[in-house]
Amino acid sequence: MPRKILLVDDEAGFTELLKMNLERSGAFEVRIENDSTKAVAAAREFSPDAILLDVVMPEMDGGDVQAQLQANPLLARIPVVMLTALVDSTELSEGAVAQAGTQMVLPKPVNLPLLLRVLDEIAPAA
Amino acid sequence: MEEHSIVESVLDNLPVALFAKDATDDFRFILWNKKQEEVTTIRAEKALGKNDYHLFSQESADYFRSVDKAVIKRGSLMKVPEEIIETKNGREVHLRTVKIPVHDKESGRLLVVGISEDITEQVKSREQLERLNRHLVQANQELQQTQMQLIQAEKLESIGRLAAGVAHEVKNPLALLLLGVDYLSQGIEPDDPNVEKILQQMRDAVERADRIVRGLVDFSSQRSLSREPTQLSRVIDEVLLLVKHELTRSNTKVNVRIEKDLPLVFLDMSKFEQVLINLIINAVHAMAGVESKLIKIRARSESLEEVVKNQGARKREVFRSGDRVVILEIIDNGHGIAPSDANRLFDPFFTTKATGVGTGLGLSVARRIVELHGGELTLENREKDPGAVARLILPTKLETAKVRTVTGRVKTEETPKEIDTGPSDLTS
Repeated sequence: MPRKILLVDDEAGFTELLKMNLERSGAFEVRIENDSTKAVAAAREFSPDAILLDVVMPEMDGGDVQAQLQANPLLARIPVVMLTALVDSTELSEGAVAQAGTQMVLPKPVNLPLLLRVLDEIAPAA
Repeated sequence: MEEHSIVESVLDNLPVALFAKDATDDFRFILWNKKQEEVTTIRAEKALGKNDYHLFSQESADYFRSVDKAVIKRGSLMKVPEEIIETKNGREVHLRTVKIPVHDKESGRLLVVGISEDITEQVKSREQLERLNRHLVQANQELQQTQMQLIQAEKLESIGRLAAGVAHEVKNPLALLLLGVDYLSQGIEPDDPNVEKILQQMRDAVERADRIVRGLVDFSSQRSLSREPTQLSRVIDEVLLLVKHELTRSNTKVNVRIEKDLPLVFLDMSKFEQVLINLIINAVHAMAGVESKLIKIRARSESLEEVVKNQGARKREVFRSGDRVVILEIIDNGHGIAPSDANRLFDPFFTTKATGVGTGLGLSVARRIVELHGGELTLENREKDPGAVARLILPTKLETAKVRTVTGRVKTEETPKEIDTGPSDLTS
């Protein structure tokens, strides 16, 4: 059974390529959500093993999405990895990211081997 | 009273210097009035019966003689607009002289009669005026240079503010590129349908990153003001690219509506981008805490008459009747302008932002840039809805630009020069 990953990022090209990379080995099934306001609904529907969440997005940023996930007892347990291209580390700590209990923050551009290791750790294969 | 002394008395009291030379007797002076004594500081008794070579330097005498000979040869009056004689005490006297050939039939003598007006004071005040004017022109140039430096300084500040956002916008295509490389480097199956898609995405990503970086570099450039016919929509696109990150982060929507067939405007792209970035960032700040932040960008063209009717009569100063102008509005739905701030918005260093967020130079510089474009920038609250509108009125013709000229007469021998210190001449 491939592990299910929900990928929330408004960058359509980025999500498409990340999905291709993750699904290539057959180890993952990736669902893309480019509209962050639909992320929580997608998580409910898809019940992923892990969520990859962008930080800077229009409408709802990654911090807001994370807070809503945390507020929902069914979704709060799903491990979340934040992905961010923010260069200024202070912006990260200021945001909701740090307080929201995120397991991991990875910088963009994403180091794929590192991401795979992280996913193995937080959502190990059955 | 003798007739002779009446004539002498009249001649001596003339306000102009008068002399006569006998061309048939080696140009010796036969008439030398009081004013001529004053001007030359040579008494009549010393001058009469002598010629220029006895009284003046060789160089001056040569000059006087050549004019005298020319007068005789031409047989008509000659005007010397300005000549300088140096008196014995070393003082320079400037004269405006008329020389007339006179043929005395009775004696058969050929005379050169000269009438000279002392214009030394006039020349002095003219020179002083020229000097003052030169200072003024120089001061004006220095002021313009300082303004250009201020504009650049403010721009550097904007770049600092934009840099993090631009870096973020570049990192996204880089992230995409890296994923593409990761995928392709794992080996490619000949029939993998993803490959073509990935390559296209990578190509797009490179172009996107390039466009953003180029946009920032163009914006940073410090050039003299150079205005070119520009499509306003192009400037708006470039600017939105540079502020994209700020807009996304603050969750601000932008709605752009540009009238079809909008006339071209004469813009310096880089400086005008500075204005728009300023106004957009201001609008974003003014909407802090607002639920659904929206910036509307509207551009249309109107005749000047419509503008005057709709926006008030003060526009007359800048534009000429019959002109078409382009009106660009940046409308936010933020907190608007407090009445107490309305008069100070464009003052340098006036800011309502926290220390470190803004220096208060943005709007004053923006207005200056718009004025350099011959346009006008106003900022006021919206009439019905909450929020403010920044309105730019821009000429669609280059000539409409406000051009102030300073006339600088440089030297008498030269044609008066028009020194154009208008916008097109800013080359600091």
